[in-house]
Amino acid sequence: MARITWKIENEDDVTLDVREGLTLMEAATDHDIPHIWGECGGCLSCATCHVFVDEKWFPLLDRIDDSEDTMLDMTDVERARTSRLSCQIKVTPELDGLVLHVPVPD
Amino acid sequence: MTIWHPTDDGHADLSDHDSFTNGVPHNTFSRMRREDPMAWCDGGQYRGFWSMTRYDDIVAHNRNTALLSSAHGIRIEDQSHEEYLARRTFQEIDPPEHTITRMRVGKAFSRPVIERFEQTIRTLCNTILDRALAKGEFDASRLISRQLPMRMLGQILGLPDKDLDWLVTKGDQLIANTDPEYTDYLLDKHDTTAFRLMPFRSPAGYDLFEYAKKLRRKFQRPEDGQGVLGLILQPDSGGGTISDIEFRNFFCLLVAAGNDTTRYTISASIHALAKKPELLVQLQQADENAWKTATDEFIRWASPTMHFRRTATRDFTLHGRKVREGDKVVYWFVSGNRDETRFDNPFAVDLLRSPNRHLAFGQGGPHVCLGMWLARLEVRVLLQELAKRARRIALSGEPEYLRSNFVGGIKKLPVRITMK
Repeated sequence: MARITWKIENEDDVTLDVREGLTLMEAATDHDIPHIWGECGGCLSCATCHVFVDEKWFPLLDRIDDSEDTMLDMTDVERARTSRLSCQIKVTPELDGLVLHVPVPD
Repeated sequence: MTIWHPTDDGHADLSDHDSFTNGVPHNTFSRMRREDPMAWCDGGQYRGFWSMTRYDDIVAHNRNTALLSSAHGIRIEDQSHEEYLARRTFQEIDPPEHTITRMRVGKAFSRPVIERFEQTIRTLCNTILDRALAKGEFDASRLISRQLPMRMLGQILGLPDKDLDWLVTKGDQLIANTDPEYTDYLLDKHDTTAFRLMPFRSPAGYDLFEYAKKLRRKFQRPEDGQGVLGLILQPDSGGGTISDIEFRNFFCLLVAAGNDTTRYTISASIHALAKKPELLVQLQQADENAWKTATDEFIRWASPTMHFRRTATRDFTLHGRKVREGDKVVYWFVSGNRDETRFDNPFAVDLLRSPNRHLAFGQGGPHVCLGMWLARLEVRVLLQELAKRARRIALSGEPEYLRSNFVGGIKKLPVRITMK
């Protein structure tokens, strides 16, 4: 288990204890966290599970591979330095306390 | 007043296209979800197949392309390997190969790129609606629903307006290859062996191939093509470029796939507005958020792509049913979108439904609709412009449904629209 927090502009934070091995996208869509759709089920076809990883945490994650990098150019809210597709991040005990910011489209 | 009631007896033959000519046989899907969620179905002229009808099952399997593959055909029709190779598009290829093509074209259909078309779409909608509404009484499917996606196809691909009607007619002959109104070569009634290497075993496939061939001669370098065609001519990261056959098949996919689905969604929406006038009033009072939820609800309601099929790569068991390697498994998205365990009151149109994680775009797997943002934008803008103008929408005759268990919906929608 790892405790993960999604921060969403103008809405309450959502904090969940997520089982190891699930992706952050799966955890978010299972709980209907707004603006995280995961429409392709984590197959790198849609870029609808975009998150900004908290600055502190970003360097601790595995690096972005070429496929994810390509898809990050197709996100709804423009990518930033700490952008990730949350389907590409599997939950491990080391991520306990991770904070994500959910991009909210205009 | 409800919008529509299914009339089937709960035991419709899903392999028979005639089972869909009074609308989707939802009593059958409801029974299957309840009693037999992995149902063995007779295949008619083809091998039998498994029908997966529950929302959760479709979502759980759709991403598992190692178990349920697209690489042996994606409709109930059986294909030989030769036919498969000649006709396949990236819809019929699994990851990781699929991912390469998908990424090549993904950007052109991404939300930020598509949203640049909003004003273009609004202008097209104005022209289309001014012309149609002036008639008072007309077939909304022909004069409204068919027009918008057809004209947007020209915009997206950079094709001349004069070719569009011809292209869409050919596209209809492909996808609606089981409806006698659209083709003389019915897939399930006539011998289509001569066309077995053409898309949808249709002679129209030949015409589209020829058109694509000419286009390909014109478009050799990325800078030759506009929009999507320019993008697919770009070399990939390994320096590879699209082959002539890939280009031809992708072109046919764009002509066929983007047209009829959006058309049937618009027709289903106008039908709902005619049967339940309070929905029109609700749209006229909708704010920006309400338009977002309303658009996805109309798309869920319409579910024009009723199924895609996969093939089992090994034996597995689901709900006590033993699926064998090589068996066909059909994801009935149209049933998942009426699953009572996922959607409250699924047979009602609730314009404020949220969350609305429907499956109309084949969500949950790598083949999720490439054009979903374009479809959403077209449906929203068209309905916004219609709601601005219409005071009352009424049916002036009975709707007619396409004869197809694959992609379908209302093909004729006689309406009388009174303007404000």
